[in-house]
Amino acid sequence: MDSSDRASGVAGSGIGLRSAHVAELLAGPPAAGWLEVHAENYMGGGPAVRALERLRRDYPLSVHGVGLSLGTAGGLDEAHLGRLAALVERLEPALVSEHLSWSVAGGAYLSHLLPLPYTEEALDVVVEHVARAQERLGHRLLVENPSSYLRFAHSPIPEPAFLAALARRTGCGLLCDVNNVYVSTRNLGGDPAAYLDALDPRDVVEIHLAGHAVNDADGREILIDDHGARVAPAVWALYGRALARFGPVPTLIEWDTDVPALAVLLEEAETAMAHLRRHQGSLDARAA
Amino acid sequence: MLALRELQTRVRTALLGGDAGAVGQEIVGDGLDPAARLAVYRNHVVASLTAALESIYPVVARLVDVRFFRYAADAYVREAPPTGPCLFEYGGTFPEFLARFPAARSLAYLPDVARLEWAMNVALHAPDAPPLEPGALRALPPVALHPSVTLLPSPWPVDSIWRAHQATAPERVVDLAAGSVRLQVWRADDEVVFRELAPVEFAFREALARTTALAAAAEAALGVDPAADLTALVRDVLDEGVVVAG
Repeated sequence: MDSSDRASGVAGSGIGLRSAHVAELLAGPPAAGWLEVHAENYMGGGPAVRALERLRRDYPLSVHGVGLSLGTAGGLDEAHLGRLAALVERLEPALVSEHLSWSVAGGAYLSHLLPLPYTEEALDVVVEHVARAQERLGHRLLVENPSSYLRFAHSPIPEPAFLAALARRTGCGLLCDVNNVYVSTRNLGGDPAAYLDALDPRDVVEIHLAGHAVNDADGREILIDDHGARVAPAVWALYGRALARFGPVPTLIEWDTDVPALAVLLEEAETAMAHLRRHQGSLDARAA
Repeated sequence: MLALRELQTRVRTALLGGDAGAVGQEIVGDGLDPAARLAVYRNHVVASLTAALESIYPVVARLVDVRFFRYAADAYVREAPPTGPCLFEYGGTFPEFLARFPAARSLAYLPDVARLEWAMNVALHAPDAPPLEPGALRALPPVALHPSVTLLPSPWPVDSIWRAHQATAPERVVDLAAGSVRLQVWRADDEVVFRELAPVEFAFREALARTTALAAAAEAALGVDPAADLTALVRDVLDEGVVVAG
């Protein structure tokens, strides 16, 4: 795997690229440390793809897939994997990531990152698919922890242990979405700090941050990972804890619902950068 | 304990509006009905696919009112979920669905307006391909229409209907009796555009959609109009950049 050299292109804080911000980003000087794009939005041609070709001259890129369905029983969709490989070859991103989830069953794409039961059977499926994807892409894959609203009755392996085993068996990296850790543990029980402590810091290559919504379901609070607000204070606190454990890992601000002005995303990215600098500073002090 | 494949089949059935009971017992309630937990996922699946359709079919949504659109989209999503994860490719059969959707029958032109919007979506995302240069035609090479091009005949004035239902359009009355149109939809300089073609132009270009031989397309044009100006027909497709190497 030759990804370590290219991964060095992504450092500090970045933002998820949204179509509403493309013109402004193209017109000005580089405004964020790096950009992340959803792979499936760039698998055709046309103006959006050409704009991205221009942006990649100024920004290191991360390609974030949502459609590979690593957790589907049965084989990967080889046609889709081929399109992802072509995109990776064309964009030469520093990072390529996907999700610990499934979206495809019986040939239907369900347009959501659906939860897996954490069993030995599911682990074997995901291990096989991650290995196949890394082989086809010629690139190390980062796998992101999901946000969850349910858990299965038979799911004996804790999620962080499942991710750690996946990384050990495939050599993949982890994309730790700190907001997802918060949302899932609030919705399903569990201690978010203990979740972070159960991951191996050497596996964590990227961090995601986003906002969530607090909804009511039959009188019970349920957090929805809608990427539609600023990062919540409790998630910033958990992020500080993640950096203390993992070191100053490149961090992305995601915003997908009610996308605000670019300046708001950049403010959030600057807040993340301030956290990163503090942790870089404490690392440097320790090294000295 | 269910095998993973069976569990995923049951979740799929539950999400697409079938029986939640078949998977409910596999889910831990944690103080909530398992069906309420599944509903969070189902709402997201339907909402994200409806939003994808609404972004492709904004004029259809305006014509029928957005609440009716979401009702139709909900039924379509359950009947024809996407087969792949690129959502800009989802919804190509929505016009046919509308044509046989009982609640939409009173708007006879609706499926053709939808076809126009789908053609615009195809044009927006079509692969980039260099148009043929005029000089390249001298040797009569095989040719094809640019991948962004759709030729769309309709018995309704769908171009006027589309223009009258833009967010920025002034209130305009469309004369539905204005009759049929033959449209070409394509991408020109990164802009998606359409225009009406004369019958002979339409025949020439429609033939190019089926054959790579310019001579066969010329014959099709002459079939419509024996006095067709073949030089002008060829010059116009080159000027518009709508032909590529076949």
